[in-house]
Amino acid sequence: MTEIDLTPAVEPDQPGRSRIRNWLIVGGIGALLAFILVQALTSARVFFYNVDEAVAQRSELGDETFRMQGVVVSEPETDTDGRMTFTVNFNEVDAQVVHVGEEPSDLFELGQNVVVEGHWEGDAFTSAQILVKHSENYVAEYGDDRPGVGENISQ
Amino acid sequence: MKTEVVGTGSRGTRIVGSIALVLTALLLLFGLVLSPPEISQGDAVRLFYIHVPSAVVSLYIAFGVTLVGSVIYLKNGSVFWDLIAGAAAEVGVLFLGFALITGMLWGRPTWGTYWTWDPRITSTAISFVLFLGYLAVRRLDLDPVARSRRAAVLGIISFFNVIIVRFSVQIWRSLHQGTTLNPADTQMDNSMLFSFFLGMLAMVATFAWLLMHRFRLAWIEHQLEEDRLATAIAARRGEASTFNPGTI
Repeated sequence: MTEIDLTPAVEPDQPGRSRIRNWLIVGGIGALLAFILVQALTSARVFFYNVDEAVAQRSELGDETFRMQGVVVSEPETDTDGRMTFTVNFNEVDAQVVHVGEEPSDLFELGQNVVVEGHWEGDAFTSAQILVKHSENYVAEYGDDRPGVGENISQ
Repeated sequence: MKTEVVGTGSRGTRIVGSIALVLTALLLLFGLVLSPPEISQGDAVRLFYIHVPSAVVSLYIAFGVTLVGSVIYLKNGSVFWDLIAGAAAEVGVLFLGFALITGMLWGRPTWGTYWTWDPRITSTAISFVLFLGYLAVRRLDLDPVARSRRAAVLGIISFFNVIIVRFSVQIWRSLHQGTTLNPADTQMDNSMLFSFFLGMLAMVATFAWLLMHRFRLAWIEHQLEEDRLATAIAARRGEASTFNPGTI
């Protein structure tokens, strides 16, 4: 008769150990999912207010930190303390923004749609972060000698 | 009985693998060299050619296969479809992880941040964790049939979140851009559009190649397990037929 090696490839787990391992795997994944869901419910539920909404709800929002979306309608100016000031607009309502956080991306400019994160401080919105929205339209950056450059740029 | 393990390669995998390799080379050529920079994003736009295709392939194709495989497994208990569902989820998680990383790399020079709890990004992260959970369930120390059934149920439930990912930018306010390739109103330079479609084809071919290999590996593992069980049963029967009480 052929000799058969029936030795298990691995030593079987002790009773209860595999159950603990199962619970650890499920618990770890569950905890990670719970963390993301908590972040989603507290942060992503209303990702931003538009400028007109934020201005209308200024007293309710108080000094609460939130995000506000609008189009940059004034040339950003930086003072000697490094604070950047500009105006954003949405639905014909303006808000002045004083940015004291880190520098925004290179896409930040006049006419750009931005989401600023911060809080009301008096009549101005103090921003700690500027997020630049980019559109789903992609325009090639050809050399200046190419005809029609910039003709189909949508802001 | 012994299964001859010859590897996961076949004529089919070699053909699909070669196609994936050629398409990837073309993607590198067009994506990095021949397509122009974008007028506002500059060279960062090149991430678009891999970020969107990897997200599309993982969410809709890979997890779609997992959904179909899970439904069929629950209906008729087909081991083939159970293994297909698991293999597709495994490759899909890999692609989705790649999409999340390339999205972060793209977000920093454009939005100004690697990560924010935007609805599209958050729902995508939830999908990533859900399918990681699916893969974890497939490795639980349970009866194989019970394990596959639980995994199949989780695979079906998890796919609902893919629908949420798809419509997240319409349901909620989002920093993430909307649908880029709207057939009714596509505004993209032709060479960029071509690079994007090359990216799609390269990702689909690479996904197919990895799926074939991963499925064949899972199938071989399954066959070996079956053979081992059959051998053990045959040996026990053999011992029983030659058993002589007088020798004890």
